[in-house]
Amino acid sequence: MTVSISLVDIVQEYPDPAGGVNRVVDGLNLAIDAPRLMMLLGPSGCGKSTILRMMGGVRPHGVQTPTSGEVQIDGVPCHGPHDDAVMVFQQYANRPDLTVWDNVAFPFRLTLWRDRFTKAEREQRVTEILDAVGLSDQAALHPHQLSGGQNQRVALARALVLRPRILLMDEPFGALDAQTREEMQHLLGALHRDQPCAIVFVTHDVTEALLLGDRVVVLSAGPAKVVDDFALSEARPRSRAWQQSTEVQALEERILGHLHAADGRGQVRVSV
Amino acid sequence: MFNPYRALTPQQARTLGGAGMAAVLLAWALLSGTGLVSPVKLPAPWDVAGALVQLSWDAQRGTSPLLVATLWSCGRVLAAGLLVIGLGVPLGVAMGASPRINAVLSPLIDPFRSAPLVAVLPILVMWLGIGEAMKVAFLFLGAVVYLVPMVRDAVRAVPHTFYTSAVDLGATDLEAVRLAVLPMAMPRIADAVTVGVSVMWTYITVAEYVNAEKGLGQLIQNSRRFSAMDQVFAGIFVIIALALISHTLMVALRRRLYAWETS
Repeated sequence: MTVSISLVDIVQEYPDPAGGVNRVVDGLNLAIDAPRLMMLLGPSGCGKSTILRMMGGVRPHGVQTPTSGEVQIDGVPCHGPHDDAVMVFQQYANRPDLTVWDNVAFPFRLTLWRDRFTKAEREQRVTEILDAVGLSDQAALHPHQLSGGQNQRVALARALVLRPRILLMDEPFGALDAQTREEMQHLLGALHRDQPCAIVFVTHDVTEALLLGDRVVVLSAGPAKVVDDFALSEARPRSRAWQQSTEVQALEERILGHLHAADGRGQVRVSV
Repeated sequence: MFNPYRALTPQQARTLGGAGMAAVLLAWALLSGTGLVSPVKLPAPWDVAGALVQLSWDAQRGTSPLLVATLWSCGRVLAAGLLVIGLGVPLGVAMGASPRINAVLSPLIDPFRSAPLVAVLPILVMWLGIGEAMKVAFLFLGAVVYLVPMVRDAVRAVPHTFYTSAVDLGATDLEAVRLAVLPMAMPRIADAVTVGVSVMWTYITVAEYVNAEKGLGQLIQNSRRFSAMDQVFAGIFVIIALALISHTLMVALRRRLYAWETS
């Protein structure tokens, strides 16, 4: 499955409360051309969520995104939401009134998808993805009966049931406890292996970026620009030994150095 | 004593509530029973109970005046209630879902929350006559000016993630409202309907003042004319009881329909 996403000369400005203009992204260029897992790492508030939303074509309230520049999917400029990308939010966005099954099947209620599949196909897809995320036994439960990790699995399943070419994840595991986060990281690796797609994964967790990324792009804050961009060829799941090897430790130091040098304002996390 | 977070057991709540009611009944009985307040102004509790019994069966005519009046009033509230749900709820949803529609309609609707609607009654009489249409229209207006802003706020209170997530999955804006936002707003919309019905019970007497032929408002009005204070009190109690029953039923229905909301 081929896919290419290009960010061309992206500038994003927000009006600031003082009446001026706050430029959060200034002339960003980034090209993604393989169904790999790309980690977008940067201090919080550096505009990485904004960049992610641009790729999904989702606009924050009343703001033109981007201010100038262009996001291209397979060379075609993208204005507004498109069929190729699905987002996973940190807040799950699971519907409390629907069962796990209905939450995952929700996209098929929309006219855009409803008629592209037969009923049998839709049900098969839901069954398969629930199995893949390990929620087959919870299909009839409601979100409030699930743990945080299980809720994030529901959100992940709802996105993957459409088999998107691009999966955009905005700090998806940020609200989970350490152990659950680790489980979810392994799950994401396994899901990507079985159903490859281009994943853009926003995080401010250096360890997470090194654990999951085929490619790691480091952004600086205010305004965001790419300060580092490297590939990791180690197969997932990545062992603790690999994580503790001197090269990886050196990479971690290098990223932290970038982040601290770029701007002291942002925050980063290293989890163990 | 003053700790808003201390929970009472249901037993405690019942005891305290019962004690409050008993105290009022006792004071009432003392004031009227001892003759401190004349029965013309304040009938004794037992006189009111007697009036209730008397009103519930008219042996001469072989009917129950209280039941007939109650059914008429209930019918009017029901008719106005259906109108409120059929017109007011969609209007409020449209206003909540579209800032443009809200900008047009909000200045036309919001001020009427504090308008003296009773003063509108003569206008309705001129437009619609003195029959059922006028009474139902008055109840409808009285409730809808409260309901529409509440429904709008219910829609707006839904966290925007549900909308954004649906749009991202490919929903049109109308689909996102219909399939993602509206279901989340339903419990609070149900609350708004409950408030609307309560408001209608407070307006029922006013609606039935004009051309009083049938209904609890007429019953109260006629009793007042004949200075039958015990019957006035009886009528008021019946209205309160009906309002309480309809409120309880609607709260129970809401809890059943939207069980996910409290969990």
